[in-house]
Amino acid sequence: MNFKKQFHEGLLTKNPVLVQLLGMCSVLAITTSLFNGIGMGLSVTIILICSNVLISALRKVIPSQIRIAAYIVIIAGFVTIVDLMLQAFVPALSESLGVFIPLIVVNCIILGRAEAFASKNGVLASAVDGLCQGIGYTVALCLMCIIRELLGAGTFGGGILNGGEGIRIISEGIPAMHMVMPVGGFLTLGFVIAGSQWLMKRMEQKKKEKEAAEV
Amino acid sequence: MSAYVQSLLGILLSAILTENFILVKFYGICPFMGVSKKTDTAIGMGMAVTFVMAIASAATWAVNNYILVPLNLQYMQTVAFILVIASIVQVVEMFLKKAIPSLYQALGIYLPLITTNCAVLGAALVNVQKDYDFLQSVVFGTCGGLGFTLAIVLFASVRERADKSSCPESFKGFPIALISAGLLALSFMGFSGLKIF
Amino acid sequence: MKTESTFKYVLRLSLTLLIITGVVAGLLAGVNAITAPRIAAAKAEKTTKALSAVIPDADTAKQMEGFSDESGIVTAVYTSDSAYAVQVAPNGFDNAITMMVGVDKEGKVLGISVISHTETAGLGAVAAAQNAKGEAFRGQFVGQGGQLAVTKDGGTIDALTGATITSRAVTTGVNAAIACVANLG
Repeated sequence: MNFKKQFHEGLLTKNPVLVQLLGMCSVLAITTSLFNGIGMGLSVTIILICSNVLISALRKVIPSQIRIAAYIVIIAGFVTIVDLMLQAFVPALSESLGVFIPLIVVNCIILGRAEAFASKNGVLASAVDGLCQGIGYTVALCLMCIIRELLGAGTFGGGILNGGEGIRIISEGIPAMHMVMPVGGFLTLGFVIAGSQWLMKRMEQKKKEKEAAEV
Repeated sequence: MSAYVQSLLGILLSAILTENFILVKFYGICPFMGVSKKTDTAIGMGMAVTFVMAIASAATWAVNNYILVPLNLQYMQTVAFILVIASIVQVVEMFLKKAIPSLYQALGIYLPLITTNCAVLGAALVNVQKDYDFLQSVVFGTCGGLGFTLAIVLFASVRERADKSSCPESFKGFPIALISAGLLALSFMGFSGLKIF
Repeated sequence: MKTESTFKYVLRLSLTLLIITGVVAGLLAGVNAITAPRIAAAKAEKTTKALSAVIPDADTAKQMEGFSDESGIVTAVYTSDSAYAVQVAPNGFDNAITMMVGVDKEGKVLGISVISHTETAGLGAVAAAQNAKGEAFRGQFVGQGGQLAVTKDGGTIDALTGATITSRAVTTGVNAAIACVANLG
């Protein structure tokens, strides 16, 4: 079991958002406060683990011709369960994420992992894959949220800390409200992906230099 | 002009401009980023999406109002809608292949991608949320698709040029495309608050 | 598999899909049975909370049948011994903003409470926030009557920074509530 490798891939080298560029609708739309980011990230992680496990368990039963339809039904089922649970127990989150919760059904991350991993691997490995990819997604979401919230509203942890107000870091009037508007979503994601590409290239270069030095 | 026609025009305007599916609402970003490297493919994708969205809005409205609501099964909405959309895409694909091969040639390769396009499911869900009647739903779906087409075609023509110019190494590819999309979204913000009626 | 006839093959595929869909549907029915009462309770609680926030004697409030509404955004009207509470759903920046507006018998606004909205966090969402800024914004409406408008449209209501559309929507909702109560006589 190479848990470490899977974790490393989910978080960095194969991060669903920053490298595979999947599920960008929700990444752009809901990352306006940390509360949204964590809530959405956790919801997707839970659905991803559940659907990965079930699809992996059923991988020998489902005929390959109808597999996509079957996957979609299974995923839609889990999404609806999470949607109903949120409405019942965390209505504030359900309201603030709105239609993007049912839209998790068509989030390419989940169908993508079902097709690329769960349909070919065992139950335990699929569960771990779901967890790692989910964490990678959540981390990317939270990063986007923190940047956009700080630059756009001047606060940190909106919706959770300080009675839902968030901790004010930049005083009112200075933050550029466009960062929490659609524009900010595109710009932030562009810069975050560019940053992660730069970082990965640096890491690779360092590795190469090290190897060269050792030789 | 009657109030009903006004409401339809209001939906038309908001779905195309003020609440543009991609640049304001973020429905359907994946195909927007994926199929926007060339203007002609962007037009093809836009037309395919518009076509499916119009039919899907009508079908999901009927399913919701004649099956789910009478049977009190609203909680099955997401599952039912995605199945309806997947079947529609399949049927449209088969129909086009047999009946209008030339159109199939143009749109065929985009059709399978549409099932997992948030815009289609998003339009169906918003129709229910906003309590639109049949005609309003169809107008919303069609115009949402047109808004999608507008955005993707504009974006593709920007991107064709952006790809030719030089930019920092780390920004090559997706990052610079996202930033161009951001600037496009900024210009669409100018429409917000636009009200003719 | 090769010896199967096409018909049998198609039947097998459809049956598998049908079974999966059936199981999912059954599961959802179960979850729905657990969550539905809680969702309903949460909604009812929100309405009562909003009612008590906008009218003084909310415990006597009863939902009214039959009201005339020209704006098309009034969703419910409650009446208590001393006042009315009108639930309106004007279109905000994103979706409808559902809010309760308390109006006294003279047609003056007693208070506003936002029940649900999807406005942008930090901008439009301030209209619903339980903080000084939100209360200051909503407080502008209290005691007012007739036709209101934001300052940009030549009125007296100061719009929230960066959220003119949300502010206009709230104003539209309040106007509809006042008009609705005026029609009740």
